[in-house]
Amino acid sequence: MVVSRNFCIMAVQCWSDILKTSKKTALICDGKRKIHYLFTDGSEMAEEYDMNTDALVSRRLRSKNNLGGQGQWRTEVGETSHNAMPSVDSDTISENSSNPLFARKDTKSSFRWRVRNISYPMDTYNVSVETAERCCIIRTTNKKYYKKFSIPDLDRCQLPLESSALSYTHANNTLIISYKKPKEILALEQELMRELRKLKGTNDGDVDCKTQ
Amino acid sequence: MATCTGWHALNCFSRKSTINLRIIFFFAVFVKMANTKVPEVRDITRIERIGAHSHIRGLGLDDALEPRQVSQGMVGQLASRRAAGLILEMIKDGHIAGRAVLIAGQPGTGKTAIAMGIAQSLGPDTPFTALAGSEIFSLEMSKTEALSQAFRKAIGVRIKEETEIIEGEVVEIQIDRPATGTGTKVGKLTLKTTEMETIYDLGSKMIESLSKEKVQAGDVITIDKATGKISKLGRSFTRARDYDAMGAQTQFVQCPEGELQKRKEVVHTVSLHEIDVINSRTQGFLALFSGDTGEIKSEVREQINAKVSEWREEGKAEIIPGVLFIDEVHMLDIECFSFLNRALESDLSPVLIMATNRGITRIRGTNYQSPHGIPIDMLDRLLIIATSPYTEKETRQILKIRCEEEDVELSEEAHTVLTRIGQETSLRYAIQLISTAGLVCRKRRGTEVQVEDIKRVYSLFLDESRSSQYMKEYQDSFLFNETQSAQMDTS
Repeated sequence: MVVSRNFCIMAVQCWSDILKTSKKTALICDGKRKIHYLFTDGSEMAEEYDMNTDALVSRRLRSKNNLGGQGQWRTEVGETSHNAMPSVDSDTISENSSNPLFARKDTKSSFRWRVRNISYPMDTYNVSVETAERCCIIRTTNKKYYKKFSIPDLDRCQLPLESSALSYTHANNTLIISYKKPKEILALEQELMRELRKLKGTNDGDVDCKTQ
Repeated sequence: MATCTGWHALNCFSRKSTINLRIIFFFAVFVKMANTKVPEVRDITRIERIGAHSHIRGLGLDDALEPRQVSQGMVGQLASRRAAGLILEMIKDGHIAGRAVLIAGQPGTGKTAIAMGIAQSLGPDTPFTALAGSEIFSLEMSKTEALSQAFRKAIGVRIKEETEIIEGEVVEIQIDRPATGTGTKVGKLTLKTTEMETIYDLGSKMIESLSKEKVQAGDVITIDKATGKISKLGRSFTRARDYDAMGAQTQFVQCPEGELQKRKEVVHTVSLHEIDVINSRTQGFLALFSGDTGEIKSEVREQINAKVSEWREEGKAEIIPGVLFIDEVHMLDIECFSFLNRALESDLSPVLIMATNRGITRIRGTNYQSPHGIPIDMLDRLLIIATSPYTEKETRQILKIRCEEEDVELSEEAHTVLTRIGQETSLRYAIQLISTAGLVCRKRRGTEVQVEDIKRVYSLFLDESRSSQYMKEYQDSFLFNETQSAQMDTS
């Protein structure tokens, strides 16, 4: 147990080291602190924090693809930049607006996911933690919705997933799933926040991003 | 909005189809309803035009590389086809880099046909780049840049990449057509797995490819999200008991499990040129000033070469050397030839096939004469395949194949007359007469082209020698007839 505890601390250390070595650019606008990280392997991360509450509003990641081209931004936290009115004349395939929308929005003490636009009764849902596969699964008894998602924060720090930390409720056509943050994560986030406050942010919108 | 379900509806509304075909199609649907066996419903979504070499499907060789007299659209030229077959084996082997082959022969002896035959027998995964010698002369790009791009287009890299796909069983397809009859079609597609169900909005391109693939409710399909490519895996087992007319080749598959959208590793082939382009795009606002095409820096190319060989050593990628075909190679100038000399020495160079119809002529950019307009040092690196003029029997056979390709029926006498024309004028002229004679025949409501039809088009259209004869007789009455001294420079 002691060994695994030590191992955990090492992994947390590892991710915080990666964050420390990355090139960071800060920018403050619209009441948000925006941070751009450029990692040594060429991948990028962009985070947005609310200035008042210090809550993470959005986090996006992008990495170079196999052939060397720029990949797409993947949204990890926050709304996907999904335009509310998908253009009718688009040639390709896109999800209909009547489908449930899945997004992550964290609070201070827990990871939280919201599935909006889903109107089945409470007893339809079954959310479980798959410890072996390192993911959570939302199932519905009427076989209308299914979602498998991982918690990248825990994966990066190589922390185990626990079923006891998970809870979910349904109200106003929204299914809300919460996972209590373990104390390693809380400590890491506090440390990161202290670091980010130290970063000199410019207030101007137009600024050269020196990491690019 | 008129709403219909299924691909039958899609096809009915397809305005591209002619009335005639529509009748055939409705008849086919009727037969299908009556539950009798239909051999094959005529595919109305496929509209292909008939090109000069669209009858060529391969080199027409047997397993021992012996050429068959008539096979895969190829006739005669036995020795050159056998030679091309050996080259083909070398290409398929993929170990030899930078060999060059020259196909030389008179006009209309099947040089391009042999190259096309090689391309067809290589299959879709081996890159085959074809260009004409005059294509490399451009104001935007230097000649050598155009040539090196062509070289790199002909080298393929097979690499694994993750793509996002949607895999599920079709529950319902719904196509909405604007009431006015014009405008874009919109549609909805409902897909399900054993665990979930999702509705997708379809764009006009997706609707078209769904109808092309004849996707109906109960099919299990995958859609590549990035490219929109649809492939049908089979029919769902839950639909196995439907009494529907289906071919013997229909496969039944299980309904997929889990999420509809998955990330899957797929192997695909990209050319070195494509990798160059991806990596040469300047980032940020600079991309606005430098266009997508244009010259690619040699440093970028060197980096890519190093990266690719690294991948190859790690087993991540596989290099597929392809074929670069340069038609009318006498149009290249001395600079291009010296560049080719050097480029062929690289171990990342494809097999180069060139074709020319020139004899001893001036090398472009010099005052020296050389066979085929190619410098001697270049010729020394080449394997040369010669094509010879067709015999009467072979001409007859080619004309027959072309008639089948163009859907024209020829009577025995007309065929003999046309063969004669082909022998005395040129094969190309005789082939041109097929479609025109076919039209004349159709106008007089005949079913088979007769000698009269051939005679008529023969009198209407002059061949090259008759036209020259005419010019000689009447040149005095043409405009600018006094400027005889200025000869056209074609060498």
